[in-house]
Amino acid sequence: MLNFEEELNRFKPSLEVGDVEEAIRKEDLTDMTDLMMILLKEKKE
Amino acid sequence: MDIRITKNHQIANSYYNLGLEKAKRRDLTGAAEALKRALRFNKFHTDARNLLGLIYDEVGEAGAAMVQWVLSLNLQEQDNVAAEYLREVQGRRSYLEAADQATKKFNQALIYAQNDNEDLAVLLLMRMLSEFPNYIKAQLLLALLYMLHEDFTKAGRCLYQVLKVDMFNPLAQRYMAIVKENTGRAEIEKRKIKNAFSHRQMQDDDIIIPPSYRENTGWQSVLNILVGLAMGVAVIFFLVMPTNREALNVEHNQELQLYMEQLNQRSITIDDLNRRMTEAEQAKQTAEQNLENLLNDNGGVLKQYQTLIQILDAYRQKDLRTAAFLYTQMDVSVLNDETIQDTLTWLAHEMTADGWQVLQQMGDEALARQGGTASAIDYYQRSLQLKSDNPQVIYQIGLIYMSLEDTDTANQYFGDVIMNYPNSEYAAAAQNQRGY
Repeated sequence: MLNFEEELNRFKPSLEVGDVEEAIRKEDLTDMTDLMMILLKEKKE
Repeated sequence: MDIRITKNHQIANSYYNLGLEKAKRRDLTGAAEALKRALRFNKFHTDARNLLGLIYDEVGEAGAAMVQWVLSLNLQEQDNVAAEYLREVQGRRSYLEAADQATKKFNQALIYAQNDNEDLAVLLLMRMLSEFPNYIKAQLLLALLYMLHEDFTKAGRCLYQVLKVDMFNPLAQRYMAIVKENTGRAEIEKRKIKNAFSHRQMQDDDIIIPPSYRENTGWQSVLNILVGLAMGVAVIFFLVMPTNREALNVEHNQELQLYMEQLNQRSITIDDLNRRMTEAEQAKQTAEQNLENLLNDNGGVLKQYQTLIQILDAYRQKDLRTAAFLYTQMDVSVLNDETIQDTLTWLAHEMTADGWQVLQQMGDEALARQGGTASAIDYYQRSLQLKSDNPQVIYQIGLIYMSLEDTDTANQYFGDVIMNYPNSEYAAAAQNQRGY
């Protein structure tokens, strides 16, 4: 049977149009290539 | 290009292809997951990002869709279909506003639901979903709330809507399984599957009876027709007639209700008219009573005006006696007319100055006459009406009562003089009368 409290807590608010700008600023765009470049740079140093 | 970067791009492409395939099969949740992975391997994968935005838009998340398209356009400014998507969304101002309102309502409903206001949350979600039925998260939340109230049929409808948009949504599938368990639908489906796939090995003694043609004989045809007729009659009697009867009953009930409403309305109108008639009757009686008082009562306004005219007439003829006597009969409190206030003030001043002396003199004259004691008391009393602080008159009244052998009343007047005018020349005389 369902635990309603638990199920309800799984729901997260949706992004409102007014908050799009901030969400774009906070978006983490690091991909695997970036990570690899960082690792290579650290290795060289 | 570095081989490792190339590998990353290949993996990203694979995930994109997987995402595209899933999106085509309307597995939007799976597609979104694959596309997010593709972007983790290559953030410049414009197609993956644009498709992710489209999926977000499809499931009602307009804000999240815009984020992906704006990022996509920033990462690749030229030849990017995201520009068109954004232009279309922002061009339809009403759509964007409505989508934003829907998001706000969902967020509010979520707050209500998480704070034990499930009823308000349900109302808000129902209203919002009538405009945006594809809003997956809202449908799921509404389904959950219906399940909380054990309304599994309505929950099933919401979940059906979710699965129409996102066919393999895991949460919807999980909820749907619970809904089916509670509505008995799961059992029916199980039985169907069992019947579809089960078979029995044929035994040696099983007989297959071939379908054969049998020609009906004459009496059988008649019998069949009769049975058919009987069934027709039964259908009419048991199915058609009750339905018709019920429809007629409903119609009659509606008519009856209409008549009852009209009747009630009429009753209300009649009651209102009766009430108004009673009020009018009472108002009429009050007016008649007032008129009668005005005409007949000695204390009435009309009477006072008559007295005032008589006083002024007496003044004109220099008959101060009649004027003073009438003035003591007049009730000036009922004469409120602004235009005569000056006249009344002047009259009051005249009476206070001279009227009391005239009345006192009339009292003295009456007292000198044989049998004039009653008149004398009356004149003295009227004199006191105009000038109450006159110990001479008070003492005089006391003497009259003493002569009438009404000692108690006489003593009251003497007492008044002794108490209130102890320094007057009549105080000592009054004390003598009382035997001090």
